[in-house]
Amino acid sequence: MYEGGSPSEGALKKFMDRDKRMSGAEAVARFVNDGESFVFANCLTGMPLALVHDLIRSGKKNLMLFQQGGIEEVDLLVSAGSIDRLAVAYNFRMGGKRVTPPLDRALKEGSLQVEEMTNFTLLAMMKAGAMGYSFMPVLRGIQVTDVVKKQGFLGDACFAEVKDPFGGEDVLVVKGYCPDFALMHVQRADKAGNGQLWGAMINSKWAALAPERIILSTEEIVDTDVIRSAPHLTIAPAHKVCAVVHCPWGAHPSELAGFYDYDMVFRALYFASLNNPEAMKTWMDEWIHGVSDRNGYIERYVDKFGKEAQEAIKARPLKSIPADYGYSFAPNWDEKGYSDKFGMNLDEFTHFMEEKGILREG
Amino acid sequence: MGVKYTLDELIVFRAAQEIRDGEIVVIGQGIPMAAGVLARKTHAPNSLIVTEAGLVGIDPFKVPLHIADTSCTRGYSYGCDMFDIFTTLVNRGYVDVAFLGVGQIDKYGNVNSSYIGDPDDYEMRLTGAGGAPEFAGHSKRSVYTMSGGEFVEKLDYFTTPGYVDGGNSRYEAGMPEGSGPSALITTKGVFEFDEKTKEMYLAGIHPGVTVEEIREQVPWDLRLADPLEVTKLPSEDEIGIIRAFAPDISVGRSLYVELLTRRVLDVLAKAAEREKGVQT
Repeated sequence: MYEGGSPSEGALKKFMDRDKRMSGAEAVARFVNDGESFVFANCLTGMPLALVHDLIRSGKKNLMLFQQGGIEEVDLLVSAGSIDRLAVAYNFRMGGKRVTPPLDRALKEGSLQVEEMTNFTLLAMMKAGAMGYSFMPVLRGIQVTDVVKKQGFLGDACFAEVKDPFGGEDVLVVKGYCPDFALMHVQRADKAGNGQLWGAMINSKWAALAPERIILSTEEIVDTDVIRSAPHLTIAPAHKVCAVVHCPWGAHPSELAGFYDYDMVFRALYFASLNNPEAMKTWMDEWIHGVSDRNGYIERYVDKFGKEAQEAIKARPLKSIPADYGYSFAPNWDEKGYSDKFGMNLDEFTHFMEEKGILREG
Repeated sequence: MGVKYTLDELIVFRAAQEIRDGEIVVIGQGIPMAAGVLARKTHAPNSLIVTEAGLVGIDPFKVPLHIADTSCTRGYSYGCDMFDIFTTLVNRGYVDVAFLGVGQIDKYGNVNSSYIGDPDDYEMRLTGAGGAPEFAGHSKRSVYTMSGGEFVEKLDYFTTPGYVDGGNSRYEAGMPEGSGPSALITTKGVFEFDEKTKEMYLAGIHPGVTVEEIREQVPWDLRLADPLEVTKLPSEDEIGIIRAFAPDISVGRSLYVELLTRRVLDVLAKAAEREKGVQT
């Protein structure tokens, strides 16, 4: 992990291959190393859960997670023993005191270290890192709270107070971080990894740009011309993306705009296993270890619950009106070789340059 | 006899009254979202609902599971991101009200949504801070709803600033002058904060509730407004709006879980039958 500061100090990697398609298993085997830090470049919605399952199957361990907010992935990663450090702003919880989920158990046992953050400050850490800054001002109101006062495993490499150099009030800042990698799911991408995401953007832009590399899963692989027709939707630029995993239903049971709703009944099944390590193991054996990839998971889903259960959560279309990137497309030289801008044809233009003496012998 | 209502519906209805027309309102999941939508459909049609997911001007189709799900993103006027919400809207002072559900609250309206029990040896970890600290810290006012939480003398973990230690301490700690929690609505009544001391007092009670019942839940010597407001009850139209939009909220958390459990058992039974069918 690179801890903010001038970009020249950080290891910059570019990923320039034109075709980075591979399976999720290959992506995590090649691009995740034990002990690294990572972030999800989605929050709550459209979570890269297929990639989470790949990561768990890979057996990678001692990872550190910057968790903005989510529903199932933290408890899964904790149960699998994939992560041992967690900086977290929000993690969904259900069932009150009757339920002790894996995250609770791991913190109590001491197998997981935690750093409590707020949504804004965790994202500010990523944004500072993404922009090559070593720190970022944040809102001062939280200075009185335990989020700032009680240190977690990041210790004092988290919050600090600095003087406003222009004479204003003291400023609370967070340290910038660039995790090693991001896991991210999007609606569509090309083979090179230009990932396009729409709907609630939450943390996506900054959590995608902070890390050194992005492992990207996508519902659809599209032609680069599609990407180029709507560049405003590209949130993961190809040069940051090390792997592209074609993965329909890759965010299930979370939802993805334009594709499917969240699957509350399936989620309830999962919630019902959280309180009991044995039940959790059974759930993970069935849905993670018992299948080899997301296709296998979806086959099992359809076998078990029927095609109609899957159909019931499919999205109906609600199209965005396309942006018009139109232009006159008037060429420099019209079909007769005449330029309206210069008031001359191509021959006269060449003659003009000759006359001015800027053409040199070839 | 008016229309029948549940306690959660009453909180939604009462909380909605805290939104004035034309306000920019940041909304958390659950009861606050139902209250915001009710307000927009009744007395505050020109208010703007914002969630920290970067969604401004949403018109959710039904009560969302969380503040970013696809029922929220079916059409909104300004799509930015979480960073933009906290800086360009919250920090610049555009947010009139932040509407948040709370778990544990003290007499100055400070909130805990992180740990129940000593954080080093706790009983239960809650969701964590999320967006609440900056929303409550920097919005002009914040309105809390509480269904199932508790009043405490001292928070187990200080997640979200209200009036800190009372008096002017909130403003001395760098939060905007005049800002702070304005109301807490629970299943039993409505609480507000003393203008000078910033201590929470009972401003109103729901019909059928006694002051004694409320005092039993509150560990400090609770002061009362004189006269106490008695909460107005929702009309048939208002209950209709809430139940159409947010039946999950109407039914309350534990019955919602019961309904969901029933549904899961039903689905599992069908799956078992299907498996049998495949085998034979």
